[in-house]
Amino acid sequence: MPATTPMLEVNNLYVHYGGICALHQVSLHVDPSEIIAVIGANGAGKSTLMKTIAAVKDFTSGSIQFMGMPLKKDPYKVVMDGITLVPEGRRIFAPLSVRENLLLGAYTRSDRQEVAQTMEEVLELFPRLRERLHQRGGTLSGGEQQMLAVGRALMSRPKLLMLDEPSLGLAPIIIDTMFEAITRLNQQMGLTILLVEQNASLALELCHRAYVLKTGHITMEGNGRELLEDERVRSSYLGITGG
Amino acid sequence: MDLFLQQVVSGISIGAIYSLLAVGYALVYSVYNFTNWAFDAFMAFGAFMAFYAISSFFLPFWVAAIISILLAIGMAVSTEKLAYRSLRLRKAPRLFMMISAMGANLAIVNLLNLFFGGQFRRFPVENIGTFSMGQVSVGRMDVLAGIISFGVLGLLWVFLYRTKPGLGIRASSIDILTASLMGINNDAVAFIIFAVTGVLSSVAGIFYGIKYAVYPTMGIVTIKAMIASIVGGLGSLPAAVVGSMLLGILETLVAGYISSTYRDLFSFLFLVIILLFFPNGLMGKSSDEKL
Ligand SMILES: Nc1ncnc2c1ncn2[C@@H]1O[C@H](COP(=O)(O)OP(=O)(O)OP(=O)(O)O)[C@@H](O)[C@H]1O
Ligand SMILES: [Mg+2]
Repeated sequence: MPATTPMLEVNNLYVHYGGICALHQVSLHVDPSEIIAVIGANGAGKSTLMKTIAAVKDFTSGSIQFMGMPLKKDPYKVVMDGITLVPEGRRIFAPLSVRENLLLGAYTRSDRQEVAQTMEEVLELFPRLRERLHQRGGTLSGGEQQMLAVGRALMSRPKLLMLDEPSLGLAPIIIDTMFEAITRLNQQMGLTILLVEQNASLALELCHRAYVLKTGHITMEGNGRELLEDERVRSSYLGITGG
Repeated sequence: MDLFLQQVVSGISIGAIYSLLAVGYALVYSVYNFTNWAFDAFMAFGAFMAFYAISSFFLPFWVAAIISILLAIGMAVSTEKLAYRSLRLRKAPRLFMMISAMGANLAIVNLLNLFFGGQFRRFPVENIGTFSMGQVSVGRMDVLAGIISFGVLGLLWVFLYRTKPGLGIRASSIDILTASLMGINNDAVAFIIFAVTGVLSSVAGIFYGIKYAVYPTMGIVTIKAMIASIVGGLGSLPAAVVGSMLLGILETLVAGYISSTYRDLFSFLFLVIILLFFPNGLMGKSSDEKL
């Protein structure tokens, strides 16, 4: 048992799309200041899990508790409570400027001065965004868009930051920058992070603990190092066979 | 030349009324991707409310206008709640939304008929006459309609482009799901958008009622606003205004120089010709940018 009460606790979660069961009895927990990774192949249900916690997809049964309270049903209330999702594929508001995208991230906050302060922090974390503040979001490169998506999420000052495949479609060097930033947010500010990845080796190196999701079931859990060494993980998710 | 200028001024004033209507359609379309067929009933409703506030309660024009605007906001917001919201939450196909909208339209127009009767009424406002600029004589009411309409559109522009809720609405028009991930309350956005359509429909209804007459099916004129917004480029607000101004001016010129009998024929002809050369409308973008 962890000494702290979990920040997020998912218990026996079932999620369906019509008759199709996408998540099957999923249980996991995230403690404060942890980086938790969920790894799984295409169609495993990773995005479904993220969307369900962000309340944009509803669940059939089970429970989700955030900070000891049942998860709210409306996405905007979930954001106000402190959970922010960086969605798969970034979903930047292409016609809006980088600055407007960032401001939208702070939509739930009314403290103008502090929002400006957060924007300054985000621009320090991702200096390339500063040079492009007045450019349309859609004109940014894939890597810059991912920075913008993460920066935009940070603008809400989340307690729990959720990232859906932050490495998707990015060049290795950009992925490194991205994951460095994620580590820094966790180590320097104690930000709690839940991320899902197909890129298992990267995620397992970075995280404290991880879960393996396979066709809607959690099949394994453990700390990142352990899973990296595990035979089954190595052969199924890291493409390494033998010893 | 003088007649020409006179026609243009009159065209601008009717174009301004079309603009209010076209923007009302475009605003809903840009976020929800369906045509709000109930909108023209809001217009008739707004005109009737102002009409009765003046003729039965003897209120001054401005007070009647404000009451009409408030009631039209109520009507638009309730229609959204009763006819659209549950469909939207269930992600129903937009065809269902349109059918629901047509239902709401029929219901409102029929209620107006039932309570007030179908006859044409002259709007009870005194004729404030004309003034002349050189050889050109201009209707004061036309100028007032133009000024108020553009004032309303200007305020809407400031709201959309200079305020936080406006930014939220623009984001919702681009990607409503991601907007909700930003903490934007979709229901609040719907409330604001429909409240705005209430204002637009009522102001348009009042000025159109003054220019022509007040009757339950007067909203049929919104077909012109539809033409205008297609000519401009569907779903875009500036395009809706440009299309409306062109159509308004074209119509008055046709009515002035050719014959008012052919006015509507020319409107459709204009639409067909524009679409022949600009399939997305004059300023239409097929991209995701709408507001
Ligand atoms: N809107 C939907 N309607 C029906 N089925 C869906 C829908 N979204 C996802 N699914 C199904 O649910 C399952 C899980 O999908 P999900 O998107 O969560 O997978 P994922 O792990 O994120 O995959 P990827 O790595 O490709 O992003 C898949 O079988 C998918 O086909
Ligand atoms: Mg996914």
